[in-house]
Amino acid sequence: MAERNIESVNKVREAVSQDLLGGRIDLLLGWEKGHYWWQSRPLFARSEEDLEKLAWDSFCAVNLSRYLLEELKDHDKIGVLVKGCDARAFNRLLQDNMVKRDQVILYGLPCPGMLDYNRLIEKAGGALLGITEENGRVILNIESGEQEAQRDDLLLDKCKDCRYPDPAVYDQLLFSPQGEKEGPERFKTVEELEEMSAEERFGYWEKELSRCLRCYACRQACPFCSCRECFVEQENPRWQGRAYQPSENFMFHLVRAYHGTGRCIDCGECERSCPVDIPLQELNRKLIKDINELYGDYEAGLDAEQEPPLLTYRPDDPAAFSEK
Amino acid sequence: MSAALNETAAGWEPLIVSFCCNWCSYAGGDLAGTSRMSYPANVKVIRVPCSGRMNPLFVLRAFQRGADGVLVAGCHPGDCHYTSGNYQSRRRLSAFKRLVEFAGFEPERFEVRWISSSEGDKFAEEMTSMTEKIKALGPNRKMRDARWQSVTSKV
Ligand code: FES
Repeated sequence: MAERNIESVNKVREAVSQDLLGGRIDLLLGWEKGHYWWQSRPLFARSEEDLEKLAWDSFCAVNLSRYLLEELKDHDKIGVLVKGCDARAFNRLLQDNMVKRDQVILYGLPCPGMLDYNRLIEKAGGALLGITEENGRVILNIESGEQEAQRDDLLLDKCKDCRYPDPAVYDQLLFSPQGEKEGPERFKTVEELEEMSAEERFGYWEKELSRCLRCYACRQACPFCSCRECFVEQENPRWQGRAYQPSENFMFHLVRAYHGTGRCIDCGECERSCPVDIPLQELNRKLIKDINELYGDYEAGLDAEQEPPLLTYRPDDPAAFSEK
Repeated sequence: MSAALNETAAGWEPLIVSFCCNWCSYAGGDLAGTSRMSYPANVKVIRVPCSGRMNPLFVLRAFQRGADGVLVAGCHPGDCHYTSGNYQSRRRLSAFKRLVEFAGFEPERFEVRWISSSEGDKFAEEMTSMTEKIKALGPNRKMRDARWQSVTSKV
């Protein structure tokens, strides 16, 4: 891949290797290349050798903070590479008392947005051998030569609408900030759905949710789903049945989304990790939109000191039902 | 399939599940009773310690198992026995109500009302109007568990 990329990986490696090899941290959470060139998966680095595998490219979409929940059981101090959304996820876990600030060192990576493989191959229109990147452009190496595209057109959905690409919390910032972005499209689909009649909306969700395999990947990837025992696994009462029917699909998806009210950091990992492309983010965003409308603007994960809207109230709050 | 799935036949009566907080709304229901006010027998009251006890799972479960409408009733804001239970539930249930509407439920299916222990008349009125609205809407199929045998259809 491009020079620029090698340079920046080296910079990241340099920053973390002092701490890891010097014993300031026991584990570094980063990314390494996966089976294919268009995959970057989590890296759990404990040694210099491990650090050789470190990657920082346009496919590092996996939110790493979520892994702290497991890894902190076996490690005292962990370093994490955080993009905008990983940092907000960290704040989420902090607010939920799932981690302590001094257990973690955060290396901030202002994020240019991650690329969507599906968009890449669509653009390439055939076998895609690899990509190189230059100043906001992506050069696709296809069998017949090269093809150029605008980077912004190839971003993952979750990155297209991202408003905070810079980490909100970090100990060290490794590159210069990207600055806040406009996310004008964020509530577009929610608004379209709101326009529909109740029947149409129900039909829409019944169809979308009918693909659900109940694999719970969305929950596993999610930084707000940090409960030690999730309601879907509770035996008594058993809230979540296993049957394949709309009723159970709605049960899971409504409750999953609802548990994120005022807590979802809008990182889109649920939707990205869904193997059957359920538009999960629209449920989350509906709640974000309503909470903002009813109880004032709140962006979860931006400021760990600010109280989440469902943990507080004002006596003169409005309600979505008649209070007469 | 089961009777639950085609109970639109003449004689269908809606099932309304009402979760009432112990200190105000449930007492309001008692007052309605002792004052000999009547309200439709379609309403089945479940007592909860406080509207703040409401777990939205209760509401969804009610819909799964035969409810055509769900009404949560609690003390008026400022009057909660535990001071802030209903302030909390006002936020939670507002978000939840909008979410179930977003999922495709008609707004009338899930309601929240503040009813004090001295408002026996309001209790009877709210239960009556909820029942009427749901009667007009017809039976709820959404989220109904396909395996669930309706209680009302058996009577
Ligand atoms: S006790 Fe009635 S709402 Fe809290």
